[in-house]
Amino acid sequence: MFVTDIRKDFYEVVANQRVALLVAADIDALCACKILQALFHCDHIQYTLVPVIGWQDLSTAFLEHKEQFRYFVLINCGANVDLLEMLQPDDDSIFFICDTHRPVDVVNVYNDTQIKLLIKQDDDLGVPSYDDIFRDDEEEDDGSGNDSDEGSEPSGKRRRFDEGAIERRIERQRARREWEARRREILFDYEQFEFHGTSAAMMFFELAWVLTKDTKDMLWWAIIGLTDQQIHDKITHMKYVTDVATMQRHVSRHNHRNEDEENSLSIDCMRISFEYDLRLSLYQHWSLYESICNSCYTSSSFKLWTLNGQKKLREFLADMGLPLKQVKQKYTSMDMSIKENLRDVIEESSNKFGMKEIRIQTFGVHFGFQNRFLASDMVHATAALLESTEKEESDIAHNFIKALDSLSRGNLDRLHVGIDHAKRKLLAIQQTVASCICTNLILSQGPFLYCYLMEGTPDVKLFSKPLALTLLCKYLLKAFVHSTRNKRCKLLPLIMAAPKDVEKGTVIVAGIPPESETSDKKNFFGRAFEKAAESTSSRTLHDHFDTSIIELKTEDRSKFLDALITLLS
Amino acid sequence: MFCEKAMEMIRELHRMSDGQLPAFNEDGLRQVLQEMEALYEQNQADVNEAKSFGRSDLIPSIKLRHCCLLRNQRCITAYLYDRLLRIRALRWEYGSVLPANVRFHMSAEEVQWFGQYKKSLASFMRSLGEGEGLDITQDIKPPKSLYIQVRCLKDHGEFEIEDGTVILLKKNSQHFLPRWKCEQLIRQGVLEHVVS
Repeated sequence: MFVTDIRKDFYEVVANQRVALLVAADIDALCACKILQALFHCDHIQYTLVPVIGWQDLSTAFLEHKEQFRYFVLINCGANVDLLEMLQPDDDSIFFICDTHRPVDVVNVYNDTQIKLLIKQDDDLGVPSYDDIFRDDEEEDDGSGNDSDEGSEPSGKRRRFDEGAIERRIERQRARREWEARRREILFDYEQFEFHGTSAAMMFFELAWVLTKDTKDMLWWAIIGLTDQQIHDKITHMKYVTDVATMQRHVSRHNHRNEDEENSLSIDCMRISFEYDLRLSLYQHWSLYESICNSCYTSSSFKLWTLNGQKKLREFLADMGLPLKQVKQKYTSMDMSIKENLRDVIEESSNKFGMKEIRIQTFGVHFGFQNRFLASDMVHATAALLESTEKEESDIAHNFIKALDSLSRGNLDRLHVGIDHAKRKLLAIQQTVASCICTNLILSQGPFLYCYLMEGTPDVKLFSKPLALTLLCKYLLKAFVHSTRNKRCKLLPLIMAAPKDVEKGTVIVAGIPPESETSDKKNFFGRAFEKAAESTSSRTLHDHFDTSIIELKTEDRSKFLDALITLLS
Repeated sequence: MFCEKAMEMIRELHRMSDGQLPAFNEDGLRQVLQEMEALYEQNQADVNEAKSFGRSDLIPSIKLRHCCLLRNQRCITAYLYDRLLRIRALRWEYGSVLPANVRFHMSAEEVQWFGQYKKSLASFMRSLGEGEGLDITQDIKPPKSLYIQVRCLKDHGEFEIEDGTVILLKKNSQHFLPRWKCEQLIRQGVLEHVVS
């Protein structure tokens, strides 16, 4: 059931209890976890934090902790599957689920006792009504539906009444079959597309606000959670803009004290500001040139993998009057005169070159003289730390802890390490995209585009992780759409496969919806993958919380693909 | 010179000023006591002679020896008392079981005194809080927070707390627990205090 008053029905319930936090491995979940931890520290609520990366992890963690805890808080996991059936908990375990995955499983919505959903009842949830899916069972016991029963009923005296009874029974069965067909249809429509809802970090920030315990740190984490959804393409642009407006209200509420000239805050205090900033990843921590070359938007608009594209880039820079030497320097060492009007100058020139949306609404934080970060910088840095493939840090829980730490203001060195990793990751993505397009690795399979990264590809280890792979998919699709002349191909979704574990011989497969201006980001690959795997009995592992990312045995790849093609055409 | 040995013992204690306990100087003590005995006997003889023969020229030397005796007594009592104070501080620092190397430095009587001090401290602590008892040797400085965030560094298995609840300590899990429950594990290296 949906929780209406989050303070009364969630926070006050767990106030004097010990809670287990099971947190998924994405940035929004990390931010939500940080906010909730800060609230728990305020009120001395004892908790245990366990990172989980998939359904198997979740089940194991639950089994280990179910004896000790009664209350479980699941962040960004658990809403889109029948949780009670999967975990088989005792009757007194209570689950609080704050998850952005939609659609929410109907059993979770209509369970009144054990599952509490910390989700807003938005209009776009579209949960089918109770009567359409669930039905009281009295009729079923009655007509257990076997004709043989009717046949074995006794003697002639009752025959006339029997006919009436038989007719009524047939009528009931027909009605029930109709109802079940309608139910299947409704459920199919409901569960067909997977998409994402409001950020979990924003939900918990709202809880903090209702408790009037919100701080600037929590606000910043909520902003990072929202930006993560935008960068990894989980929500539509409209929703992003609406949510940014909500966050902006909070930001101005926290900032109003600064405006007084007499009582200005010390430079070390944290200041969050609304920025209408450039869509160039990490440009303030890199050089402008590198950032333009490695950001998805600019590199696909210019088509920087071609010679023509490189020429256009130089024209662009010349048009703005920026000398190459300046632009290739680190951003912080660029001339002040150039930095002053940079955004407006870039916007003007990009309009001429066909990039109308070079600027995007976002937020930045500023504390101390040197520390200035945009929300997107933080997301890239933390994501790079979370999925780091360095030898010493290959333990997933270890990476989770590192990434969680990097979100605190006191751990700036970790954040800088994250930024370095993120730069390498963006470079790797760009090079992979360039090589895929230049060597025509993207094949049109009919209803979708398909690309397979071979084992020897440089940096292919980076792409064995879900977040990095989805980012690569998104960039690749965008670049492909810009580079192909085939009108039909521009509207196709993309499936990408990359080797995941060489020893076990598995690949990770991810599918993303087609690229379009008004895309509603609804992904049907979850169900499609399931059906294809069933029909070909391929050995797949649907372990990830996003159903559109699965693991598959390399040998089964071709038959799985064929099944998908037949399914989707 | 008289009283040199006693001064040496005081100086020895003074050198180790940060509460460390040097070995009990049995030898030094014996020498000082011998010196005191010698001085006392000489004084006795001289006093008898002065009284019976009326020799008032012995009186200054009697006075000198008396002062030396008093000085020695004062030095020795100061030495012994300072050691006892240090031993008392050890109870608050180390708890009721002292490490072996410290016990080695204590004399038998000091060990006995320590035992009795422990007992009286324990009975005092038991009487606090209306018969419930309160361990006042913990948290001598007020802690910054009652609960701390800890991270588990290695798999420790299940950890039981007084009220019966059990916590599973798995590697890389984080917990938010009351401070006193975690202190022992932090000292063992199983948990790590997270400051963020």
